[in-house]
Amino acid sequence: MRLALEFRAVRKKYGGRVALDGLDLQVPQGSIFGLVGSNGAGKTTAMALTVGLLRPHEGSVHVLGNGSFNPQLHAGKVTLLPQDSRLPPHGHVEELLRYYAALQGLTPAEQRENVDAMLRWTHLVDRADSQVRTLSHGMARRLAIAQAFLGQPELVLLDEPLSGLDPREAARIRSMIAERRGRQTIVISSHILTDIELLCDHVAFIEQGRLVRQTTVANATGRASLAVYTLRNGQLPLERIKSALPGCEIEWDPAMRVLSVRSMTHEHALPQINQKVCAALFDAGVELLEIRCGSTLEQAYFEVTASQMPMLPPPPRAGVDRI
Amino acid sequence: MMSNARKLAEVALNEVSDSIRSRRVMVLLALYMAGSAAATLLFISFLRNIEAQLMKSLGLPESANAGSVTRQLWKSEVFRGTVAHMVRDRELADRLLSIPPLGLFYGWLSATFSPLLVILTASVRISEEIWTGSARFVLFRCPRLTWVIGKTAGQAGQMLIALLLSACAAWVSAWLRLKAFDAGPTAWAMMLFAFKAWVYSLAFVGLAIGVSQIFSSPNVATAVGFITLFGMGVVHGIAAHARQPILKETAQTIELLLPGGHMMDAVWRFDLPHFISGCAFSIALGIFYLGLGYMFFSRRDM
Repeated sequence: MRLALEFRAVRKKYGGRVALDGLDLQVPQGSIFGLVGSNGAGKTTAMALTVGLLRPHEGSVHVLGNGSFNPQLHAGKVTLLPQDSRLPPHGHVEELLRYYAALQGLTPAEQRENVDAMLRWTHLVDRADSQVRTLSHGMARRLAIAQAFLGQPELVLLDEPLSGLDPREAARIRSMIAERRGRQTIVISSHILTDIELLCDHVAFIEQGRLVRQTTVANATGRASLAVYTLRNGQLPLERIKSALPGCEIEWDPAMRVLSVRSMTHEHALPQINQKVCAALFDAGVELLEIRCGSTLEQAYFEVTASQMPMLPPPPRAGVDRI
Repeated sequence: MMSNARKLAEVALNEVSDSIRSRRVMVLLALYMAGSAAATLLFISFLRNIEAQLMKSLGLPESANAGSVTRQLWKSEVFRGTVAHMVRDRELADRLLSIPPLGLFYGWLSATFSPLLVILTASVRISEEIWTGSARFVLFRCPRLTWVIGKTAGQAGQMLIALLLSACAAWVSAWLRLKAFDAGPTAWAMMLFAFKAWVYSLAFVGLAIGVSQIFSSPNVATAVGFITLFGMGVVHGIAAHARQPILKETAQTIELLLPGGHMMDAVWRFDLPHFISGCAFSIALGIFYLGLGYMFFSRRDM
């Protein structure tokens, strides 16, 4: 597996506070990679270390297989959308993008082409001549996203890219990022786990500056091995399902009327499981409300990081009102 | 791969255009031009009053040509002797007195006030980008050193334009108010002093950008810049006026590391060896201050 980014036992401190405590991370080339963790877990620090804005105290960060970040070598190949940084307020949208593109080494013709494409991509064509300070928060965020994709960089780091965007723009940007899968490596840090789940194919859970788990999103959520059925009325044909799927772990929650079927071997793929369970349910006249592949990434995150955050109370279950 | 020289030029151009967009350069130019015009007018009024008093004391009719008495005074041997005593160099005194009075006045004005204005405008240029985080959009596209030098070059370019325009403003003010006025020689002298003051102020551009690299708060950077300037003034004062020899010699030695210690050569002397030495020291000190700041900036977390 070729790696676009690799952290090897990286340690970073701010004064006495440890931000990264021996972080190991491997980002496969061409993947859309999610970084998930609580506030202060070290996600933003990891991104800033990647592009040389911060320097590690120990360990090393390898970028695009060429050692640690070097602006001479990596300018234009690695870009960042910083989280809380403000673009120069007096800059004009188009001029600012051209300035960044020029610093990346694009020729004037490439600059024009790239900037025009980015302005169209982020719906800012009509604000091309506006000063940044006159843009709304969402527009400024779109401009910041645009600068990160200038010149087709090989590795793009996006820190909370969709925060502050309206639902329509967020969905559009999300689908446009997804279209780049395989062509660019994109690392996304976000607290909105549904975004990570929808966009990413790999995910790393980071807590207290350490990697808790790195895997594919499909593995983390059980998307490839777990089917969850929410039922309404009718008697569940549990024995028939068990006998039809001998290599599977089957759980039935009668209170919530939720049936979970997890493939424990490679004998049963999810479509086969689904076919057999649905046939059994329909034959028994059971009403089926919902079929879901795997758990949510949020649940996976809570489960994986539970031991890392012992002081915090367990989160409420989704969809259950607390009184 | 884009060369560092091209990146440096991009950063310098952006620095100037950002100043224009933010109207910062307009404020700077307005300050320079209004300041030099106002000071020139004050100086002319002062000259006129002196001339009027002189004529009255001598019982002569008041001259219609303001400035004519000053011109005569300028050429008198007694005055030349006084100036030679002040600068402790007869040759230099003769050279200075060959320059029209307004030209000399502009030289003093630009050399005295340009450091203040440089600190006021340049010491926030990097710190405010650190403060707002906008530097983070640039520093993965451009080496830190290239960015810092580009910004310094942009500031130096603005300074040159500001000084040349302020010389124009001073000349126009004098042309409007004085009848006895050597227009050509005064214009030449003002342009020459604008250039000399610019070379001298490069040391302060280096100082301001050096300070700006160390402090992330623009207000703190400005305050530290002014405190440093005040400290330099104190050293200069001790070097010039202290009575105790040890104190005086110590201050004079320290002043060799300060721009003030080379102002005489850079601004007021005209022979090539002294002028080149003054320019070289001003530029070298600017690079030195910039380098000190960069030593911190190159390692700082952004």
